[in-house]
Formats: sequence, structure tokens, C-alpha cells
Amino acid sequence: MTVRAGADLSVALGRLHLPLPTIMGSGCYGSGEEYASFIDLENIGAVVLKSVTRMPRLGNPTPRLVQTPSGLLNAIGLQNPGVEWYLEHEVGKFSERPCAIIGSVAGFSVDDYAYVTQRLAARDEIDAIEINISCPNVASDGETFACDPKLTSRVVTLVRDLTDKTLIVKLSPNVTDIAGIAREAEAAGADALAVINTVRGMAIDVDVWQPRLGNRTGGLSGPAIRPIAVLAVYEVACAVKIPIIGQGGIETTTDALEFFLAGASAISIGTANFTDPRVPLQIAHGLERYLLGRKLNALRDIVGKANHGFSGPHQYEGDQG
Amino acid sequence: MPPDQSQASVHRAAITDRTELAKGVILLGIHAPELVRVTKPGHFLLAIPPSGERCATALGIYEAQAERASILFFVCGSRTRELADLAVSEYLEVAGPLGNGFDLSGQPKNVAIVAGGVGIASVLLPAQRVAEYGGRVQLYYGARTQALLVDAEKFERYGCVLNLATDDGSSGFDGYVTELLAQTEEVPDLILACGPTPMLHAAAKVASRMRVRAQLSLEETFACGVGACWGCVVPISRASAQAPRFPMLSTDGSRSDSVYARVCKEGPVFWADELRW
Ligand SMILES: Cc1cc2nc3c(=O)[nH]c(=O)nc-3n(C[C@H](O)[C@H](O)[C@H](O)COP(=O)(O)OP(=O)(O)OC[C@H]3O[C@@H](n4cnc5c(N)ncnc54)[C@H](O)[C@@H]3O)c2cc1C
Ligand SMILES: Cc1cc2nc3c(=O)[nH]c(=O)nc-3n(C[C@H](O)[C@H](O)[C@H](O)COP(=O)(O)O)c2cc1C
Ligand code: FES
Repeated sequence: MTVRAGADLSVALGRLHLPLPTIMGSGCYGSGEEYASFIDLENIGAVVLKSVTRMPRLGNPTPRLVQTPSGLLNAIGLQNPGVEWYLEHEVGKFSERPCAIIGSVAGFSVDDYAYVTQRLAARDEIDAIEINISCPNVASDGETFACDPKLTSRVVTLVRDLTDKTLIVKLSPNVTDIAGIAREAEAAGADALAVINTVRGMAIDVDVWQPRLGNRTGGLSGPAIRPIAVLAVYEVACAVKIPIIGQGGIETTTDALEFFLAGASAISIGTANFTDPRVPLQIAHGLERYLLGRKLNALRDIVGKANHGFSGPHQYEGDQG
Repeated sequence: MPPDQSQASVHRAAITDRTELAKGVILLGIHAPELVRVTKPGHFLLAIPPSGERCATALGIYEAQAERASILFFVCGSRTRELADLAVSEYLEVAGPLGNGFDLSGQPKNVAIVAGGVGIASVLLPAQRVAEYGGRVQLYYGARTQALLVDAEKFERYGCVLNLATDDGSSGFDGYVTELLAQTEEVPDLILACGPTPMLHAAAKVASRMRVRAQLSLEETFACGVGACWGCVVPISRASAQAPRFPMLSTDGSRSDSVYARVCKEGPVFWADELRW
């Protein structure tokens, strides 16, 4: 059941060429292995690995998850074994993966980002690097990087010099002007932007008068944030020329199409894998059917068509989209 | 309890039977021969929500015989409500079996099984297994009220001796099921327990007082259910065979005696004396 027959769904993110535009979101897909018994990893574009930091992190106290209407509130807190252990014990396994592997870097200082990027990017098993400057769930300053245009610029400039591999910068929706941050990241040398990370949120237990999450605040994902994400992609697409990886609540082909039309060149799927692990395959098939139904050859033909003053949908005879 | 997830897959299963055992307590039988073939006592599955939008629901595998598996659940929120609306011959998609179940490899002779409320859903298979190898089961089964003590006869059929308790005294012992367990004169070789977290804490205490080891099937909120997100963790002893072999330091950089294990992957069944909760 391989996809990639009829229409061209491929996408180029800097030097990284993916046959399929479906990228599994960081922190939601482990290293891919966890999902391999449910879906053939050949049928996805790439996996973004769980974010790693310089030192091991135990992560946040429990509970770390709350189900909310059409959404999921999480505060994992970047639990990870630290980059050295990761390189020694995990990264070697990725060479066998039939899809691209994107490393995700998190940190608490500009130095941290530089160190971890350099260590990860040096490995052949890692095809590209995503800089997570937007994690809302750590007590210190993870997210201030994504909220401050100057810091964004500094960290991206520094890591850009450290690797020739595709550099993706993941932006936070928890800012006043996401387009401004996006411009800084582009000017500093990012090859692509991941838009958006989770939206800050809280749920309170009315019996005990306490926030439900151990960390008190968390990041909201899933269909609940989709309109926020579509708008963010739309705004960023107006501001930059580099490709955008749209994400936030994508669950169906129609959801994915909204992001492409808003200006995304690829999409990321996170929370929807928790609903049904076959979603990435269903979306890839659905995109192909959509394009063929409209006699379009390539997905890139629809990128941003709802954007940049574009005035309306194509009208094709016998349109069955 | 070695990890055993390689045999999991997604199954599209027709609903074979549906029984409302009590108000809001549903037993759904599904046609899933492949799932049955690889299910072990204590395994769970993920029920894929028919209309999307929410994470799949973790449910214990209640029965697994020949072509039919079943799930037993309390209707308590939007996902279980949607499952309760499914009718016979409609389809339910499930991913599984998942997790590490109960360890009965030593074939303990006298086993006490403690179930609270919907926890009953995860303990029929181990009861059946003990009966198969010739052991004996004392079932300690507690619920809020008599009507919610569902399907106890099925356990009797496997030769379990029933010890019932209700919070309101409407049937059996008047009080918590763990109090009933504490009163027993017959010390078991092993205790298995599944139910609400406070009950599991109590069961662990009784077990340690009796100097009997206990395996607890834990319940946590899941997101992925397959070990990918680290959302469902519980602290366990670093020395446990189930402790992930990762360096885990607390935020201040110190090396604590406990580490986080994933309830969905390393669990849901853990040795009570290895939990650090
Ligand atoms: C390994 C495992 C096995 C399980 N096996 C079973 C099983 O066999 N049968 C079964 O019935 N369940 C089982 N569960 C539990 C089941 O997965 C959950 O009950 C599930 O969350 C139900 O989903 P829901 O959407 O219907 O309810 P949810 O909306 O998720 O609600 C679940 C629970 O949270 C409480 N809750 C939700 N929102 C609030 C709120 N705002 N304030 C206070 N309380 C709230 C509800 O009272 C309810 O008890 C298992 C869980 C695990 C982890
Ligand atoms: C449980 C969980 C853990 C996550 N961990 C990370 C992470 O470590 N690094 C990161 O950049 N994003 C992380 N994210 C964000 C996702 O990658 C994604 O950007 C976001 O959830 C929005 O997409 P979705 O609605 O499809 O999940 C996490 C999300 C969830 C739900
Ligand atoms: S629910 Fe994701 S790791 Fe357990």
C-alpha cells in the first residue's frame, strides 16, 4: 500500500527532499519505532524526533496529560536522556528507517542550542535539524527564544553556521507578531519554518481547586487549535519565502489542504496519531485523490492559493475534489 | 514482564454482541481472531474513536477466546459514550494488544485478585489463566453499590471464590474491598489488583503487611498509548527490571532512586513494591 503513485506530493525543505509531505511532529512519534507495527514508515515523509537537550531531563511532575474538548493538554517538560546518551544508544538505530529523520533540539541558552545542534548534525543518520525554540512546558526560558525576535535571530544565526543540513525553526503561537519572528528566522538563515507549536493552556479540577497538570500550565494541541494554526501559517506565508511546515490539529485530508492553501509546503501530524495511527497514510492518499480529481500534477501547485491576494478557487469542469 | 508489542496491529472488528450489564456499564463483544491469538492476561487495547477528534481510549481486554474478544466499560465521558452507542454488526477499530500484562510465569497456586469497579475488566483473563494451570483464585471484588458488581458469575465459572464488597453495604461486605482482603486468614502466594488509584495504594499496603508480592494494573491518562509521548509516566525504583535504561536526573541534576516508567509501555502492570508513587 505505498502511496506515491499518481500525483507528485514531494517537497523540498532546503536540501532535504521528501517524497511525501507528511512529517510526524516532535514528541508525538517517539523515534518512529513505536508506530512501526501500525503503519509502514515508508508511507510517511519524515519523523521529527523528540526534542533533546544537552543534559538529561526527568521532565515534569505528573499528571502530564489532560483530555480537553477536541484537544489534548500536555506538559511533558522535555523528558529526555540528554544528547550524549542519545547519540550513543539511539541514533545508530535510525539508519534503518525507511523515512527521513529530523533531529529536534531544545535548550535553555544560546550555547545549549549550538552544542546540541553540532552534536546531532554531525551524525549521518540525522537528515535535518529542527530547532524547538517554542516549548511552553519548561519552567525556565524555553519559549522566550520564540517570543523575542532578537533572541530568535541570535540562536538561528549561531546554529546556521554549524551545519549545512536543512535547518527548520519551530515557532510558537504564543506571541503577538508571529510574522515578525518568522522574518527574523528567515533572515538568520533558516531553511524552513515549523508553524505552530502548542498553544498555552490550563485545565482546573473543580473538586480540589487545583490545576489538573502537575506543571499547572501546558500546551494545547489537536483539532481545538487548528484555526489558530491555519491563521499563523497564512500570516507567516505572507511574510517569508522559505517553506513552511504547517501543523496544529491536522487529522484529515481536508484539514491538511487548509494548511497547504494557507501557504504550507509540508504538514506535520502529531496528536492525530493518538486518535488513529493510520492518519498519515489516509492523508497522503487523500491528497493524491484530491489532486487527481482536479487534474493537478503536483501538490506544490496549490501551496498558498488561499493566500497572497489570490481571489478564488480554480473552477474545473467535472470537479469532484 | 518483558516488552511484547511487536504483535500489535490495528483490527477492524465487527461487534458481535452488546449487553448493558448495569446502567452505564457496557460489555461489547467483537470479532477479532487475530487479536485473540496474541492477547495475554493484562493486555489492553486502544479503541479508535469512530468520529475522530479525541485520543483513542485505553480499555482492558476483558475476554479473549477463539474468534471473540470483549471490552467492558463504564460510560463516563464523550469517548465511552460514543462506544456505548455502537450496535451489533457495526464496526469498531482497535489497536492492540498493548502493554505488559500480569506475570504468572511462576504459576503461583493461591492467587488473590482484587478488583475495584471497572477494574474488573482487566482481571478475567488472569483468573482464567490461573484456573488453566490448576491454581486457585480468591476474587475480591468491590463496587460502589450492588448493581455495579457486574458479571461476577463469570468468575465463578472459572472456579474463583467470590468475596464481594460494596461501599454502601448493599451487597457483601460493607466497606472497601481492600479491607475485606486485609481480613483474610488465608495468605495468598500472589496478589493481582486493578482498580482506581486509591484502591491500588490500599491493596499495596495490605500486600506488604501480609508479606505477599502484588502486581498492580495502573490507570493513567494516555495520549499515544504506545510509548511515544512520555505522558503517562509513574515513578518506579531504578532497580526495577521495568525501569527504562535511560539516564534520568532530577531537574537539580541529582540522581534519585526513582525513575519514570511509561504506564502504557513498561506497564500497565507493575510490581507494587517497585512503585515509588
Ligand atoms: C491501561 C488502561 C486500561 C483501562 N481499561 C478500562 C476498562 O477496561 N474499562 C473502562 O471503563 N475504562 C478503562 N480505562 C479507563 C478509560 O480509558 C478512561 O475512563 C477513559 O478516559 C474514558 O474516556 P471518556 O472520554 O469516556 O471519559 P473522559 O472524558 O476521559 O473521563 C474519564 C474520567 O475522568 C473524569 N473526568 C473527566 N473530566 C472531568 C472533569 N472535568 N472533572 C472531574 N473529573 C473528570 C470522569 O469522571 C471519568 O471518570 C483504562 C485505562 C487505562 C490506562
Ligand atoms: C505529548 C506532546 C509532546 C510534544 N513534545 C514536543 C517536543 O518535544 N518538541 C516539539 O518541538 N514539539 C512538541 N510537541 C508539539 C507537536 O510537535 C506539535 O507541534 C503540536 O502538538 C501541534 O500539532 P498537533 O495538533 O498535530 O499535535 C508535543 C506535542 C504533544 C501533544
Ligand atoms: S501515553 Fe504516550 S507514552 Fe504512554
